[in-house]
Amino acid sequence: MKTTRLLAVLTALMLVLAACTTGGDTTTTSGSEEPAGEETTTTAGGDEPTTTAGAPEPSGEGLLETVQARGNVLCGVNDVLPGFGVVNEDGTFSGFDVDLCRAVAAGVLGDPEAVEFVPLVADARFTALQSGEIDVLIRNTTWTATRDGQEGATFLFTTFYDGQGMMVPASTGFTTLEDLADANICVLSGTTTELNLTAVFGARGIPFNPQVFADNEQLRPAYESGQCEAWTSDASQLAALKATIEAEGGEEQFIMAEIISKEPLGPAVRDGDSSWAQAVEWSIMATVQAWEFGLDSTNIGSYSGTDPNVLNFLGTDGFDPGLGLATDFAITIIESVGNYQEMYERNIVPIGLQLEGSPNDLWTNGGLMYVPPYR
Amino acid sequence: MTTPPSPLSTRVPLWRDVRVLRVVGQVLAVAVAFLVLRWLLGNLTSNLDRLNLGLDFGFLSRPTQFQVPYHSTFNPRAPVADMVLVGIKNTFLAGFSGIVIALTVGLMVGVSRLSQNWLVARLATVFVEFFRNIPPLVIIIFFAAAVFTFGPFPNLREAILVSAPGSSSNLVILSNDQWGIPGFAGGSPLFTGLIGLGLILAAAGWLWRTRLNERTGRPHHRLAWFLGILIASVIISYLALGRPVSMSWPAQSENRRLIVGGFALNWGFMSVTAGLGLYTASHVAEIIRGSILAVPKGQNEASTALALSGFQRYRFVVLPQALRIAIPPIINQCLNLVKNTSLGTAVAYAEIAALTQTSIGNGRPALQSLIVMMAVYLMFSLSISLLLNLVNQRFQLVTR
Repeated sequence: MKTTRLLAVLTALMLVLAACTTGGDTTTTSGSEEPAGEETTTTAGGDEPTTTAGAPEPSGEGLLETVQARGNVLCGVNDVLPGFGVVNEDGTFSGFDVDLCRAVAAGVLGDPEAVEFVPLVADARFTALQSGEIDVLIRNTTWTATRDGQEGATFLFTTFYDGQGMMVPASTGFTTLEDLADANICVLSGTTTELNLTAVFGARGIPFNPQVFADNEQLRPAYESGQCEAWTSDASQLAALKATIEAEGGEEQFIMAEIISKEPLGPAVRDGDSSWAQAVEWSIMATVQAWEFGLDSTNIGSYSGTDPNVLNFLGTDGFDPGLGLATDFAITIIESVGNYQEMYERNIVPIGLQLEGSPNDLWTNGGLMYVPPYR
Repeated sequence: MTTPPSPLSTRVPLWRDVRVLRVVGQVLAVAVAFLVLRWLLGNLTSNLDRLNLGLDFGFLSRPTQFQVPYHSTFNPRAPVADMVLVGIKNTFLAGFSGIVIALTVGLMVGVSRLSQNWLVARLATVFVEFFRNIPPLVIIIFFAAAVFTFGPFPNLREAILVSAPGSSSNLVILSNDQWGIPGFAGGSPLFTGLIGLGLILAAAGWLWRTRLNERTGRPHHRLAWFLGILIASVIISYLALGRPVSMSWPAQSENRRLIVGGFALNWGFMSVTAGLGLYTASHVAEIIRGSILAVPKGQNEASTALALSGFQRYRFVVLPQALRIAIPPIINQCLNLVKNTSLGTAVAYAEIAALTQTSIGNGRPALQSLIVMMAVYLMFSLSISLLLNLVNQRFQLVTR
């Protein structure tokens, strides 16, 4: 009795001491194997995160090393958006953003399947990124100043230039935003769509009533039953939804010609880790660079020309710019997911959007896809 | 013979002295809790610093930037604190209406379940078992889908207008988005103040009649006096101020997208209130049935021996004793109902949880917003339990 009480007191004391000594830092395995290029990475690419005193810093180990040691990339994606991120019937993920996640895994780890997909609703995506639940967020997310600043995210190369549009049933005959004065408009919670809707309608003095839902599965019945008269979202999402609704036998839909806002969609990583950000960014930009060189999944492995830019890009002569990636990372990426054009044609053309003539075309064709040289 | 042990040697050593160990144990427990808390807070501040996020509440004074549903008078450039107030108001409306429905329906169903009428008792049982065994979220979504989204009502632009007989104004407007019911228009602070005064006078009348009854034994009729004084004061102030309040009938606006006049109920509010009201009513019914059955059987037999009718038996003997037992669990159910209004996010009802979720998704700091939301629910819960505990104390048995 008394001895057990004494033992209990001693155990509590030991727990207290244990809690004190481990402190607040829980980063990675020390002593993990690191590739030879690591030293150059941490000095060339790394910068000290801007913190105040007292924050325990992982000594020299960034997220790139952590991911390479762990062996897979945690990628935040959408699971209900046709064209960008969907879950198939057999449980696998497919979509444009999903393919970009695979490209990142192929570049950083050499294996396009070394990815764990974390499906997220719009409201939760930035808290997941901030808390470390995901390493990179590729989930049709718009690049804005608030997200760069207050949300602690860093946005990378824009992979899809989009804009916000408005969809109404074709039978209503509405064609302009003024037709929707005082109307109920369905919108997703926690998106730039919601803020743009308020801003644009407020600027034009058009009153409206938002119906705010957490995801498309709850929104769609309200729209189709007429509780909302209009549905606003990114134009690419509206195109996918129009195709889905009409294919499933619903009413014919009409997407208004007016584009309400700029929506540059791209991947995002946490603030304060430049080497990880650059590794992700160059892996993704490799897909556009390959497209510009005319290389795709069928011919990149058998390139026999002598263009030094292409040879650098393919790493044939062992060119390594010191990003922490393998020298032939471009070949791994393009052979597994294809170049930008192949990814676009596989995922986005089926939902009704064409590549030629859109802002997502190559800069040489009048579009906005322009990547810095790999040199 | 051995000598008795000297006083000094009977002192228990410190390390097994129960009094010392008790104190040491409590001090250690507090120390452990404090250290764990400090470790958690250290984690939090270091992670926030790493991401350059702050722990301040300045976001409450910055513009909201999104529109709140069904509040066309809300300016999106108003500070976030105003949005929080709208959320509090909506939560209060849903909670209050839900509690009213839950208590009335619950009382009726609970008593019905003990009825001698076979059909009434079985119907009450079906009601209770159906609503009690389904999660409240499912009930709310089912209501919204069955009555509104996939229900029989048309869109607001082609709404059903039920007109008051013999006049051109509408009594009710029905649609799958909003319902319009008659309301009051006008009214002034003076009128409200006079009604308040009337309430106080009526309460004073209640107390006077009770005292009179205790002193002289004359029947108090205090309810009649209370209502009489209240109604008289309302009528007098209404006429004296020259009819400041009038009925306002709901009507469709020019573009047939709004309900002007009257009182507009939106589908999210109605789904949440009806769903939660019926769900909590099933729990309240069981509580009341249990508390009635807990009254000793001798009370029933004694009442019958004194030739009290069934209604008199309930009203004077059984229910007062049963309510004493029932009130604490009912307080619990009221608190649960207010907290369950957070399920309004599923039906686009803009109560505080939905608005907090939207504002976090739009870049407001997550931790601080959640702290504000928790403070709101804490305020509701503490007020309700404070109020109902006062009622409970009045009913309690005074024993030594």
